[in-house]
Amino acid sequence: MNATTIDLKKNIMWLASYPKSGNTWFRMFLANYLKNDEEPVSLDEIESTPIASSPVDFEETMGFNPFEMGLDEVDLYRPDMYKIITQDTEDENEVFYKKIHDAYTLNTNNIPIFPAEVSIGAVYFVRNPLDVCVSYANHSSSNIKRKVKLILNEKGDVAGRKTGQLRQIMLSWKSHYDSWKSQTEIPVHIVRYEDMKQTPMETFGAIIKFLKLDYDKERLGRAIVNSDFKLLQQMEAETGFKEKAQFCENFFWKGTIGNYKEHLSEKQIERIVTYSKETMIELGYIDSKGKLTV
Amino acid sequence: MNTHTHTHTHTHMNLNFPIDIDTLAVSKEPIAKLLNPRLSNPHLQIDENDFYLNVYDVASYRVQNGNNVLIQPHENSDEASIRLFLNGSVLGAVLHQRGLIPFHGSTFLYEGKGVMICGQSGAGKSSTTAAFCQKEAAFINDDITPIKITKDAATIIPIRTRIKLWDDSLEKLDIENTKFDQIRPTLEKFYLPNDAAFQEEQELHHIIILGKHNEGEYKSNELEGMAKFNTLRKQIYRKMYLKGMPEREKTYFKQLFNLANKVRITKVIRPQKSSIYDTKEYIKTILAS
Repeated sequence: MNATTIDLKKNIMWLASYPKSGNTWFRMFLANYLKNDEEPVSLDEIESTPIASSPVDFEETMGFNPFEMGLDEVDLYRPDMYKIITQDTEDENEVFYKKIHDAYTLNTNNIPIFPAEVSIGAVYFVRNPLDVCVSYANHSSSNIKRKVKLILNEKGDVAGRKTGQLRQIMLSWKSHYDSWKSQTEIPVHIVRYEDMKQTPMETFGAIIKFLKLDYDKERLGRAIVNSDFKLLQQMEAETGFKEKAQFCENFFWKGTIGNYKEHLSEKQIERIVTYSKETMIELGYIDSKGKLTV
Repeated sequence: MNTHTHTHTHTHMNLNFPIDIDTLAVSKEPIAKLLNPRLSNPHLQIDENDFYLNVYDVASYRVQNGNNVLIQPHENSDEASIRLFLNGSVLGAVLHQRGLIPFHGSTFLYEGKGVMICGQSGAGKSSTTAAFCQKEAAFINDDITPIKITKDAATIIPIRTRIKLWDDSLEKLDIENTKFDQIRPTLEKFYLPNDAAFQEEQELHHIIILGKHNEGEYKSNELEGMAKFNTLRKQIYRKMYLKGMPEREKTYFKQLFNLANKVRITKVIRPQKSSIYDTKEYIKTILAS
């Protein structure tokens, strides 16, 4: 395959995460920071950081209906899609922020789905898998049992059905994290959801620096306040949110830490912890004595 | 149809093309790419009257002057897949080269009026059209509809297509799948047999732009003025080809402008999860208004 004919610019910043790990919350923060307004931006303005697995973008860029292709077949074209879609700008300084839930994987031609040639970097959001599980179960109106299975499934994926987004290979929760952390093609800045909650100024501030945006403390504080979780909940109640599923009550649900205790059984907790132990220790969700920290 | 097929690797290939063309040939040798095309992607190259498409593991295609199609099947590819891309992306190239604007829409004749349902892939064009054509309407085209536009009229050009439906849509429409042809061996999507004779050219009266949202209600609004023109542009099938065909695109402006003046255009947003028949009934009330 010869891609020399595309004039490549390095202009994509990936916002990568397993679902329900603060990605959308961060996108609202970023929309506020970039706009730098006194008033909070509306939920609609999150469209400036769209998901990278849009079937419409795929069809309009590649000239194929992705729903008439196999899932692996679509992935053969995705690297080129990102090369093409982001080169269509006159502005040398434009950065495309793209939300993704995919693990970092290769397609069946052994080409990375996310091409390093056009990637500035990736911010990777990670959250305690126990809280992810509970939040995710609400998000898609399905039950917790299925989400426990998904979190442990090395072949886990989402979407890729007859309508909706393109298929996204996620692997298990721990392998999702490992895939992004261990790849060496794209510089990654890893962010814990819990730190976004507990030390927002430091955590969001570090991301702003990684993104090489102008760092301004006052602007940072304002963007944090204007993307506060309670505010997002309130805005969703008033105007609705496009990224919510039809039969799911709300997208912005609780956003708390340690909420799993009220919803997961001992056995479910044990299954996730046993399977994901090393990664959970690495991220501080389990201490050196093997006890859950939250 | 004046079709010459030279079959080598794929013998006895049944490559019906939806419109009449001068040549439709199969090549054993790799098809040459374009030299310095205006649009050049790894799998797709486009100039005003020349087009090259490589569908990995399926086939390469070249289209010239709106009348000559050359196909090189790739090793181990299946005929259904070769035909699917031929009747989709490749047909789109032929129509663009001819200057006959292809729209991403399905068409039928309902109560004496030509109706086109446009929308993105997955919006529900085919299933809604199938629901209409079960009793009340006469089917014309599925998925791709060329429209001939003059100062005086907008005309639907019938082409030889069949409605493509997923297994669950067939079930919802209570259509028994009696070994319908699969669009590809790996997909549970089928061609609905079309026994009726293909329609004559019909005047186009009303375009429905079908979309969906995560709310539970149907919504609609009829477009006026420039909004009609801008929306029509977005409904062009394989609009991205025009990046390699700027002269062709220029000729479309006036046509789209005329079309906007000739037809009614209504946007309809349906709930993501909704019944095909509810959508049909909702659209009926709009067509009657």
